[in-house]
Amino acid sequence: MNGRKSFGGGGGGRGRGGAQGAQQGKDGQQRRPMFRRRKVCKFCADKIDDINYKDTRLLMPFVPERAKILPRRISGTCALHQRKLRTAIMRARQLALIPYTAE
Amino acid sequence: MNRKYELVYVVSPDATDEQVTELHTQVEGIAQRMGGSIDKTENWGRRRLAYEIGRHKEGTYVLEVIDGTGELMKEIDRRLKVTDLVIRHLVVRVDEAQSVIDRTRGKRTDVSRRRRIARGLPPDRQPGEGQRGEPDDDRDDRFDVGEDVR
Repeated sequence: MNGRKSFGGGGGGRGRGGAQGAQQGKDGQQRRPMFRRRKVCKFCADKIDDINYKDTRLLMPFVPERAKILPRRISGTCALHQRKLRTAIMRARQLALIPYTAE
Repeated sequence: MNRKYELVYVVSPDATDEQVTELHTQVEGIAQRMGGSIDKTENWGRRRLAYEIGRHKEGTYVLEVIDGTGELMKEIDRRLKVTDLVIRHLVVRVDEAQSVIDRTRGKRTDVSRRRRIARGLPPDRQPGEGQRGEPDDDRDDRFDVGEDVR
């Protein structure tokens, strides 16, 4: 999964500097606590009200390589918008705008 | 009772332009006969299909926004099903969803206006206001399962 990387955290440069002394790993290695970026629903953040089946550019990020719908757990989409997204994707699939599966 | 529907149909790539327009006039004819009207027609032209339908890899997409009754849409649906030239079609009712969208949008601007007035600002955002680099800030990587995934 390519898309996962950006969410998984990877520490990001933005961690709070506060606790630097405290986290000495057992092996003496400096370890940061796993910092996860807070996931935000894209549609809430960008104030997109209309999730339309015709708008492939909007939907494509939510159907990664295998063409399955990206779960909420990964994308961070809120329940309301995930539901709308699902219907939109299913309609787009019917019209062959978005694939059902990867070949 | 008249409602608003969207109809998208995919015409086989073998069809000529005349056949596509003829199909459109057919749909229009049915709509007029049954007390409906066509508000908008959009031809998206020839597009690649995301998967093969039958033996086709391409298709011509046509979108029609139709104002009419459910009976009318049923008839159009039936007619398109038996038309061999149309390889796929979809009818969606849009008026209800659209009104929900308008309502949430209106509510949001209302709230922001009220807040701005409470802070002693003009109700609408002035040019040059807001955070710098806001209009197209692509450093925002809150959500970047971007196009590179595909």
